[in-house]
Amino acid sequence: MVKYDAVVVGAGNSGLSAAIRMQLGGRKTLLIEQHNLPGGCATSFRRGRFEIEPSLHELCDVGPENNPGEIRELFREYGVKLNWVPCPDCFRVISKYSDGTPMDVTMPDGIDAFIAKMEEYVPGSTPKMRELFELYEEIRQGAIYTAASAGKADPNYMREHFPNMLRTGAYPVSKVFKAMKLPQKCQDILSTYWGYLGVEMDHLSFFHYASMMQRYVRIGAYIPLHTSHEISTAMLERFRELGGDVWFNCRAEKFLFEGDRLCGVRTSMGDVACDMCLPNINADIVYGKMVPKELVPEREKKLSAARNGNYSARMFVAYFCLDCDYHELGITNYSYFLSGGSDSAKEYANLMGGVKTNDYCILLCYNVANPEFSPKGTCVCSITTLASPVDWNDGDPTTYVARKEAMTDKMLAIVKEKTGIDFTGHIEEVSIASPWTFARYLGVPEGAVYGHEVRDWDGIMPRMMMLKQDYPVKGLRPIGAGGPRGDGYSGAYITGSLVGKLALKDLNDWAEGGAK
Amino acid sequence: MALKVKISLIGALDMLKFKNMAADREKAIQAAPAREIKADFPINNNAKALHPDYLDLVVKEVVDHPEADAKSFILARAEGGPLPYFRAGQYISLKLPIGGSFLSRPYSISSGPKWALDGMYAVTVKANPGGFAADWMLDNLKAGDKITASGPLGDFYYDKYRDCRHVLALAGGSSITPFLSMAYAIQDGVEDFDMTILYGSATADTIMLRKELEEIAAACPKVKVVHVLSDEEKEGFEHGFITADLIRKYAPAEEYSVFICGPEAMYRFVGREIEKLGLPRRLVRPEMLGVTKEVWKQPGYPAEAKDKVFRLTVKQGPEEYGIDAAAGEPLLVAMERAGVKAPSRCRSGQCGWCRSRLLSGRVYAPEENDGRRWADKEYGYVHPCATFPLSDITLEVPGEYL
Repeated sequence: MVKYDAVVVGAGNSGLSAAIRMQLGGRKTLLIEQHNLPGGCATSFRRGRFEIEPSLHELCDVGPENNPGEIRELFREYGVKLNWVPCPDCFRVISKYSDGTPMDVTMPDGIDAFIAKMEEYVPGSTPKMRELFELYEEIRQGAIYTAASAGKADPNYMREHFPNMLRTGAYPVSKVFKAMKLPQKCQDILSTYWGYLGVEMDHLSFFHYASMMQRYVRIGAYIPLHTSHEISTAMLERFRELGGDVWFNCRAEKFLFEGDRLCGVRTSMGDVACDMCLPNINADIVYGKMVPKELVPEREKKLSAARNGNYSARMFVAYFCLDCDYHELGITNYSYFLSGGSDSAKEYANLMGGVKTNDYCILLCYNVANPEFSPKGTCVCSITTLASPVDWNDGDPTTYVARKEAMTDKMLAIVKEKTGIDFTGHIEEVSIASPWTFARYLGVPEGAVYGHEVRDWDGIMPRMMMLKQDYPVKGLRPIGAGGPRGDGYSGAYITGSLVGKLALKDLNDWAEGGAK
Repeated sequence: MALKVKISLIGALDMLKFKNMAADREKAIQAAPAREIKADFPINNNAKALHPDYLDLVVKEVVDHPEADAKSFILARAEGGPLPYFRAGQYISLKLPIGGSFLSRPYSISSGPKWALDGMYAVTVKANPGGFAADWMLDNLKAGDKITASGPLGDFYYDKYRDCRHVLALAGGSSITPFLSMAYAIQDGVEDFDMTILYGSATADTIMLRKELEEIAAACPKVKVVHVLSDEEKEGFEHGFITADLIRKYAPAEEYSVFICGPEAMYRFVGREIEKLGLPRRLVRPEMLGVTKEVWKQPGYPAEAKDKVFRLTVKQGPEEYGIDAAAGEPLLVAMERAGVKAPSRCRSGQCGWCRSRLLSGRVYAPEENDGRRWADKEYGYVHPCATFPLSDITLEVPGEYL
């Protein structure tokens, strides 16, 4: 049997990160991937003369070279070199304020610029906005500290350095905004990014939202020059340079055990022996399908039951390759958040109601950030929304295309109504990805790319606090979007690194203890 | 890091909640029942049913088309039941163990999508000079034989967002099959568009699937068939090749889309004719070309490589193979000859399913087939189905779910 120190299952964002981390730690690592290329969501596909970005809107916490954010730093540490392009502006949102008046707001990057712009839209808001960003920054620092302490944060240090994080972090965003007496219009505008986390403001921890906002606004967001496939390919290249092996079109079927300790992985290319496995797979599949029933810990069953199948972000994306320059279509911004209103709870309920009630989407035009994104005289746009199982549980294949078209028609109508942008007569290539598509390529439950919702009691901070309890099977450390750092590209990269470090520590401890 | 600004909020909020986050989470977990974990999801099952790794099929019936030197193979699921539904125009990749070789061949499904619900696909295979796999199938494949295939694949289908309401379908010889499927789909109400097929054949007596097409055209006003005979002048038929003038003659007054599917020679000819029409690219959709059989005629091909045979080392998961690779054949063909189960689907350089890592050696990839992603070109990946060796090669290929 082939033997490795560690096997990482799934070459998505978290898997690539963990694989590099393991190999940097001197552990001979095999990365296996069920598809024929790396990246999971972070990939690309070709249609005609276009290469299409399937998932990445904007990667936060990269930052400019001279003021790097956590992700740029992580990639530097890994030795992964990439061509980053800054995204112009933070976002444009076309919606309604809580009082029913129309909202059309474009927010820039950079804290000072963001606050100044908010002052234009909401006169007198500057002092409160300053307080808010001070708080955001404290929380960002607190998040970095907590991640670095890997579940062993010192409460005294936290109280001294991050007192306001401790006061606010555990509360829902909407409650903290109210407690701060933030003007309602500011609250409405600031709620725009909730869709990036997939949980409405009444159930999302302020800790999570604040650290995300700060990651986006402080140093802006970036995208790779040549789609996220460039990120994944560069990461894989680095992993190979470090001595790692990769098998594509190889599926992990079961984990193998000696007693209660993992000793290998059964794959479609044969059994592989290892001391540590990091599956980039949702915990429900890991413990529900891949660990022998008798070895599934009681706490994992309870955790799964408590989460109750609340998967986050079942993606629906329509991609359009257009045979004209984006200016010609009247596109002026990189990202447009379009919704029926700024009450995130109501928007969330509308999404979960399916195509009939869904009135939320994000329009993105890649060429606005990167004029070279597609051939001269063309542009590529995507329209993204979050789907509901009510539209996609039905397995009737004869209505599938009609269901995809119904959702796409609705999104195109929202785009046209709110922005005046109309693709008609310019569509050279089109592709529509439903939750079935994401389920097909990623294997994620229900095509939900964010793992379990980071909702209420199961937010990222308590997950970070419970790293000790959350990996009850020896030699098995699941990673991925459902991990301690939550969803999105940056969360997945950091989770891969963080859990990789825990795995390295296990291996080193076992080597010292002579247990293996 | 002390705060510069004293934050005014608080009052209502306290630190205890933060401190208790872990304990609260544990409480929520412990309050839940220790029930079996659900890891089976309708959405994932739906995706799997529509897009299986592979299909185990059985030849149910062979329909002879002696006039066209062709046969239709009616395929059913070995275990029975419906086959994955598909978009009319898509293909399946048949896996053919022939002697010691292991080949794959993409065939457009010639039956309509509705047949799939009744558990059937048809593929129609025509004899062609040097067509190793086609000839083997025509000579050997019979009712009751088992065969493995991919699920339906490809982007050659009607899309209401992209394509005009009226499609002019240009077909040559056996490449009529995707259009026959579209015609069935229109007739069955699965698709809703108008299609005029300009169908090139040699003579009236050798038109493949003529009866099937004409039956649909007679019954369904949305489908029209115009036969274009290259070797015969005959009343009621067009004569010659599919030219720009002929397209104009049958084109509707309003804006229309052109779909093209045919052999290499037809693509090259029709391609030039279509340029004369001055249509925007979005209105012209060629099905994949396949790979040229005369790579040495491609621009930039180094003449000295022609006719050489190189050594190809293939790494696949834990396995390694050493085989020969002729300069004039794609790397995939070399692997297939040697019986290596390398993945492949479109065999045109486009779908990327065979995407492999070039670990050492030099290769030639014809520009017209180069469907690689940007980063793949940058980091040394190739599509072996459309890549030719120029030296000894070491290639790392993905596995194959067979």
